Amino acid sequence: MNSRKLWAIIKKDIGHYFASPIGYVVLAVFYLVAGFFFWLIAVQSRSASMIPVFQNTVILLLFLTPMITMRLWSEEEKNGTAELLRTSPLTLWEIVIGKYLAVCAFFGLMLSSTIIYLIIMLATGNPDLGPVAANYLGYILAAMTFFSLGLLASTLSENQIVSAVITYGILLMLWVIGAAAGNIQGTLGDMLKYVSVFNHLDDFFKGVIDLTHFFYFASLIFLGLFFSVKVLESKRS
Amino acid sequence: MIEVKDVIKMYGSLAAVDRVTFSVPKGTILGLLGPNGAGKTTTMRVITTSLPLNGGKVTVDGYDVMEAPHEVKKRIGYLPEVPPIYGDMRVVDYLKFVAEIKEVPADQTANRVGEVMEMLSLGNMGRRLIGHLSLGYRQRVGLAQALIHDPDVLILDEPTRGLDPKQILEIRKLIKSLSGHKTIILSTHILPEVSSTCDNVVIIDQGKVVAADSVESLSQRLAGGKLLELEVKGPGADVQKALENLKTIASVKQLGKETRNATKFELTTDGTMDAREEIFQCVAKNKWVIYQMNPIGMSLEDVFLKLTTKDTAA
Repeated sequence: MNSRKLWAIIKKDIGHYFASPIGYVVLAVFYLVAGFFFWLIAVQSRSASMIPVFQNTVILLLFLTPMITMRLWSEEEKNGTAELLRTSPLTLWEIVIGKYLAVCAFFGLMLSSTIIYLIIMLATGNPDLGPVAANYLGYILAAMTFFSLGLLASTLSENQIVSAVITYGILLMLWVIGAAAGNIQGTLGDMLKYVSVFNHLDDFFKGVIDLTHFFYFASLIFLGLFFSVKVLESKRS
Repeated sequence: MIEVKDVIKMYGSLAAVDRVTFSVPKGTILGLLGPNGAGKTTTMRVITTSLPLNGGKVTVDGYDVMEAPHEVKKRIGYLPEVPPIYGDMRVVDYLKFVAEIKEVPADQTANRVGEVMEMLSLGNMGRRLIGHLSLGYRQRVGLAQALIHDPDVLILDEPTRGLDPKQILEIRKLIKSLSGHKTIILSTHILPEVSSTCDNVVIIDQGKVVAADSVESLSQRLAGGKLLELEVKGPGADVQKALENLKTIASVKQLGKETRNATKFELTTDGTMDAREEIFQCVAKNKWVIYQMNPIGMSLEDVFLKLTTKDTAA
């Protein structure tokens, strides 16, 4: 993997977010909602905790993810620029990882606003930093998982709307599947419980860092990227 | 430099390219000619590694497109049918991006971007968004993209598409100027483009090569003997009779009616030697006057139509 080429793709894809209103709108909505929950918790309930901010905005993330991942490959295919990338001396992994890191960097911008809340909490209260770190880790892992699956959905169609709807479908299923699992006994119920994002995220929000959960997110991220590469490979024929 | 041998490309059960074979020697320009849907674009996409082939072999500079695609990609500049541009990027940023993914060394990137912009007269367009440019400028940005890493091989799918006549001449001149040190394949259905820029031509129809030769010999070969157009002042019937008696003339056909004592003829010579001298002597001896005498070559257009129009009568 060549870092210069990777960086070129990352820069280009981040650029696309800010060449249209979509990047600004997503950032604005995220800042607004995250700010609202922080205000609600800090001022109203006077607790120095990040959990409610993350718990509530992770739902928002379910809805914002398709907005920022749908164009990643669909747009290239539609524009004819996929042909440029395919005939350049780039590997498919370089393309996929470059695009993935671009969304992650954009997410970094979204998340940067929460640093302000942390500073406010440190200045005015006495937050327990261990659990806060666990909260952040869980939140970031969940977001990275969403993006990986969104990228995969984007490789499936050259129509952005189709990609977005597929992403919504996958993410909502991963979210609600845990609730359904409560009604099912036996192995199937356990399996569904394991697949559910919510169950894995919950421990992080409780301040617990468990390797099982870490492994769950890491494998979903890897599978999303791996199948993105495979889909692009199969598109050559 | 480019060897295409027995290439087959299937779309489902349809053979878009059916056992196509041709080769392009280093430093020459090949025109890929054919009606729409003949398989020109598919052939080019196979050469650029964009599509895998179902049979046969393609090598670029000795590297097989299926076995060493990475090496092939490094050596080719490709302008697809639709220029692969990002409407929301500035021209300079776009070219810089392409230079980076095409492995132009970091310290030469800025120079190369400047050079290709100069080459394609994009000098004052650098800060413009590509999406705001006219079709002609977008096409030039597409060409700039193909040239940025100074590749040995250029594959250009209809490079003059969307350009106005002045721009077309400029681009043809540019392509012509690249011959010698670059090996180029260009596809087109504008026939004068081939005669003015290409060394060799391959005509494809329904996925098959129907002719492959140099531009001149192809039109000569297909004309089947030499044609002359002659206009003589004199009694039509007598002139025709006199001409028919000449050794080098195979047939004489009167064109149109006699007007103001002059008649036009189409002569077919036997092709062994230049018949013009004999014709002149014959006309002069009879005290007639030659108004005009032109050799008619078969234009590429005629060749093209002759080859790609199937005998519907048969």
